[in-house]
Amino acid sequence: MTVHPQTAVLVSLQRHYAGSVTRFTAYAIDFIVSSGLFAIALAAISYAAEVITGHSIAWNKYDLVTGIAYACWYLLYFGYSWAASGRTPGMAVLGLRVIRADGAELDPWRGIVRALAFPLSFLFFGLGFLGILVQREHRALHDFIAGTVVIYAWDARAARLRFLAREPLLSASPDGIAGR
Amino acid sequence: MTDQVELAAQGIAERVIDLVVEALDVNALLLRIDVNAVVDQVDVNELMDHVDVNELLNHVDVNELLNHVDVNQILDHVDVDRLLDHVDVNQLLAHVDVNQLLNRVDVDSLAKRLDIDEVLRRIDITALLDRIDMNDLVGRVDVDALVEQTDLGAVIAGASGGLATDALDEVRSQAVGLDQFIDRWVARLLRRQDRGPLAPPALLDAGAQS
Repeated sequence: MTVHPQTAVLVSLQRHYAGSVTRFTAYAIDFIVSSGLFAIALAAISYAAEVITGHSIAWNKYDLVTGIAYACWYLLYFGYSWAASGRTPGMAVLGLRVIRADGAELDPWRGIVRALAFPLSFLFFGLGFLGILVQREHRALHDFIAGTVVIYAWDARAARLRFLAREPLLSASPDGIAGR
Repeated sequence: MTDQVELAAQGIAERVIDLVVEALDVNALLLRIDVNAVVDQVDVNELMDHVDVNELLNHVDVNELLNHVDVNQILDHVDVDRLLDHVDVNQLLAHVDVNQLLNRVDVDSLAKRLDIDEVLRRIDITALLDRIDMNDLVGRVDVDALVEQTDLGAVIAGASGGLATDALDEVRSQAVGLDQFIDRWVARLLRRQDRGPLAPPALLDAGAQS
């Protein structure tokens, strides 16, 4: 039986500590999603205010109110996601999950603590994130504060079955797998 | 002189016996004998003790004897059921070397004579299935090999192999590949000899058991 080497690696990586690229990509998706939702919310509020009062609201990203609103939204987005399911939408896309450092399920309060400690990792040019790159368990500053780790949790077995199912079909087709 | 007299007397005696035997009607004599009374006087068991049955059988041509026997006629008179009632089948089977017996069986020929449909018709499938541990059975199935070698693979590919799923698998796979690439370089730069724990201990144990 031939198994795609990369697929076999993915199966063995399930439950392992997640690496830096996957986590950064997940965060990038979360940043785009949360910022996009925030921008839509601001536009909706501005439109509602204009309809009701006749005056539009001009949002300035350097404005204190906007900054506080964004920080609250940011905490709500990450805090609720981690407390409720241990993953944000971006982490769900990349197949990541936050759990306790000992491997147990994440307590909701730890999810909230992680969200509160998350901005600290951005201080000093993102020094808190350096742990993801160099630390053996890939833990950032907010992971140490909340007592959490991030692991690969996507269903690698289902992906493998899909790959195995496709393999005979691809080899039977004229271009084959090499033609991809 | 004495020798001549003895020879003469012996010759006379033999001649007298011959004359008596010639005059005797043996059949008439046998008719007067009560054979049953004679047989009653014979101790058959004692007689049999002196007979070497094996030696006797060595002189018997059993095949020749059996050629004269109409086995079918004999079997017509045999009550097989009654005969089998007296047979201890378990004891009989205890003496049978089943392996040797099976070695002599032409299984192919037997299978050709077997009416599989008839056998299957007699089987109570429901009762049979009740006795099967389905979970254990499914656990023994090599799903990977099954998916690879059967049309089930096409079904799975058709059912779940959408573009979005394929794209997601691809993105994740690429990201994991880059993770490992960076990990290797970081370990090289930091001159680490061992990689450290790969996963939280509880999850490693669970993974080893599953």
